[in-house]
Amino acid sequence: MASNSASDETSVSAGDQRVDPLPTTAKKRRNLPGMPDPNAEVIALSPKTLMATNRFVCEICNKGFQRDQNLQLHLRGHNLPWKLRQRSGKEVRKRVYVCPEPSCVHHDPSRALGDLTGIKKHFCRKHGEKKFECEKCSKKYAVQSDWKAHAKTCGTREYRCDCGTLFSRKDSFMTHRAFCEALAEENAKALTTATEDAVAASTVVGDEEGGTAAVASSSSSPSSAVVNPAPPPQMPTAAERPKQEVEEPEPEPEPAATVLHQAPPPPAQHQVGDNSGSNTAAAGGSAATSIFASLFSSAAASVSRSPTLPDFTPLEPISLSLSRGTSTFFSSSLDRRPFAASPPSPHLSATALLQKAAQMGPTASGASLLRSFGLHEQDSPAAAAGAGSAALPNLLMPPPSFFATKPATLDLLGLGGGPPAVASLL
Amino acid sequence: MDITHPQTSMQSLWQLKRREEEDGGDGDGGGKWAGRLLRESAAAISEKDSGRIHHLLWMVNELASPYGDREQKLAAYFLQALFCRATDSGGRCLRTLTAAADRMRSFESTRRVMLRFQELTPWSTFGHVASNGAILEAMDGETRLHVVDLSCTYCTQWPTLLETLASRSDQPPHLRLTVVNPSDGGGVGGVDPVVSEIGRRMEKFARLMGVPFEFHVAAGLHQLRLRDGEAVAVNCMGALRRVVVDQREAFQGLLRDLHPKVVTVVEEEADFSSTRDDFLRCFDECWRFYSLFFEILEESFPPTSQERLLLERECSKGIVGALAGGDGGGGRRETAALWCERLRKGFSPVGFSGDVLDDVGGLLKRYPAGWSISPAAGAAAAAPGLFLAWKGHPVVWASAWRP
Repeated sequence: MASNSASDETSVSAGDQRVDPLPTTAKKRRNLPGMPDPNAEVIALSPKTLMATNRFVCEICNKGFQRDQNLQLHLRGHNLPWKLRQRSGKEVRKRVYVCPEPSCVHHDPSRALGDLTGIKKHFCRKHGEKKFECEKCSKKYAVQSDWKAHAKTCGTREYRCDCGTLFSRKDSFMTHRAFCEALAEENAKALTTATEDAVAASTVVGDEEGGTAAVASSSSSPSSAVVNPAPPPQMPTAAERPKQEVEEPEPEPEPAATVLHQAPPPPAQHQVGDNSGSNTAAAGGSAATSIFASLFSSAAASVSRSPTLPDFTPLEPISLSLSRGTSTFFSSSLDRRPFAASPPSPHLSATALLQKAAQMGPTASGASLLRSFGLHEQDSPAAAAGAGSAALPNLLMPPPSFFATKPATLDLLGLGGGPPAVASLL
Repeated sequence: MDITHPQTSMQSLWQLKRREEEDGGDGDGGGKWAGRLLRESAAAISEKDSGRIHHLLWMVNELASPYGDREQKLAAYFLQALFCRATDSGGRCLRTLTAAADRMRSFESTRRVMLRFQELTPWSTFGHVASNGAILEAMDGETRLHVVDLSCTYCTQWPTLLETLASRSDQPPHLRLTVVNPSDGGGVGGVDPVVSEIGRRMEKFARLMGVPFEFHVAAGLHQLRLRDGEAVAVNCMGALRRVVVDQREAFQGLLRDLHPKVVTVVEEEADFSSTRDDFLRCFDECWRFYSLFFEILEESFPPTSQERLLLERECSKGIVGALAGGDGGGGRRETAALWCERLRKGFSPVGFSGDVLDDVGGLLKRYPAGWSISPAAGAAAAAPGLFLAWKGHPVVWASAWRP
């Protein structure tokens, strides 16, 4: 080991530099990560030293170890008298570590972390290069153990909203959840069980690095994961925020509210897929189904409460988009003048108008067709107000032969009966 | 194809369309029937040849349908716009379309369409991820954030931002979100019910996430009540194009006066602005852009999707606005190069960090093939920021700025 703590570290005794651990105690609702014992020894390491340093260092040969047991085993090799193998009393004093990055909140001694491994991981995660990339989703990690933990679950994880919808992606799950009826209904749910569930969920979620525990807990009681009501909206305790531990957050911290569903191994996963297909059937059985049923009924009720806002009328609005243009045009030009026949219904699509015109075509002469669409009144006030009645026939009507063969064209497009603007354009 | 003969019967039109489809549109310039017919119509309008206008638009109408295949759909919406252009009725048509859309709008339908669109294409989520990344980085360490949201995506951008704020290691900052909705407050009605429903959801979700949160709606920038000590971010997603072209630089001045720490700008890559006085060029650009968009919808959605129909219908306003909207209307998209030219007068660009680029790259892996990220290239090489590209064509541009 090139360096050890004794030579490189700047050791600041807590007695010299008094640390106030809770400068804004009144405002804090919970413990922030890094709230060291005021009596602890604050240790600041350079980035290089930090990465090279192990926590447990042999005082004889300066070799560092990650675990105390390993150091103890190592010490036996030095064949020291028993007394020297004991830790000195001084070492019992707690040490806390600050982040070497000056701009980081954990650079401040009041926010030092109590664990060397913790500060190393923090430093890598927040200020280091992300060298480990997941092959499946290309998410990058700076700490190898984070990457390994992620790789174990990448692609197998699913997010289930209380409404029953499954998501494989967290971002779409979050967006969905914010807008979902299930969130709107959450207040109605019992709050007593929610607290327990939130705690349970937080252990499931927080244990990502452990991997196995998460799988075990969710697969042993899949129904509870499904039926989990969301935690109450206002719960400022640590239970709601699983990653608020003394150490750094886990690589992918999840608020407990994101009722995480850890998909079981492949065979079981098929079941999950089937459930999502049927959308109401859930692993939880009747209890879950009834919850979904109530959700759906409430959603349906909220829809039916606003019958004036139909959201499923495929036919009408689209036909409006074209015919509306013509209909407003018609109404604006027709409502001030008399017409022989009823004007085309604004709800008729252009195609329907055309068909109607085509049916009329063989039997009606050009003139009567014209009249039927109210285009014949040369002395109509609107036309007179526009381009002048004398000019109108020439301007509006294409050559008669053309018109006779294609009566529908004019009316359909509204060009023939055009408002003043058309007349000037043509 | 004979599009000048006035005696073309309906049957021969259908034969013509079928033949075009079998040909796959190869031959002259890869144009399918709709593009060619509409281009001819646009040329006739440009030449004020009324006979040809009548005839061509009649033909297009025979073939077009908002329920048909992609060519028929495009033809239906472009026909509407060309008709408005020919009759100089664009403004009235836009008002009618807007009124119809408002009447149809509900929280339910808005939510369904937005979420489905974002599930199937990165068109909006690309801008969300890039903007949220830039906002979070610019606001790092601040305890009171105020996001002024000028976006057109109904707050679907914010749940992931709230989640990220909640999962930061230190205490989540206080977040104030002000949605600027110009349609509010102008009249008597008060706040748009859809927006206020969205606000309730956001408040509830923020409580769930444990982020201190306030939601406001403002009818304009003048209604913002900025507080001392809060860091301001302005989120302009599809917002700048809604400003009338002549007032765009003045509007950016207003944004600058808010002293934001960051301004995120996301715009769709099309030029209906510099081409607005040249009808044929504007038509070509409009056709290029919306053909791409309809292609994306066709390849991303199932054929009978209701959401797809609604998204296509939303385009009708844009098409009419571009082709017949005149100078007064908003919605005139500009290219990234043009936006940059304007923005550089009051702001300097902020590059996206490696983390944000990773996030955007990761986002695209979740969508079907065809999407890619490209840094500014070609004519827009001078533009900072990122492009989302569909089959190599840049379609959406995201960037971040500071005063």
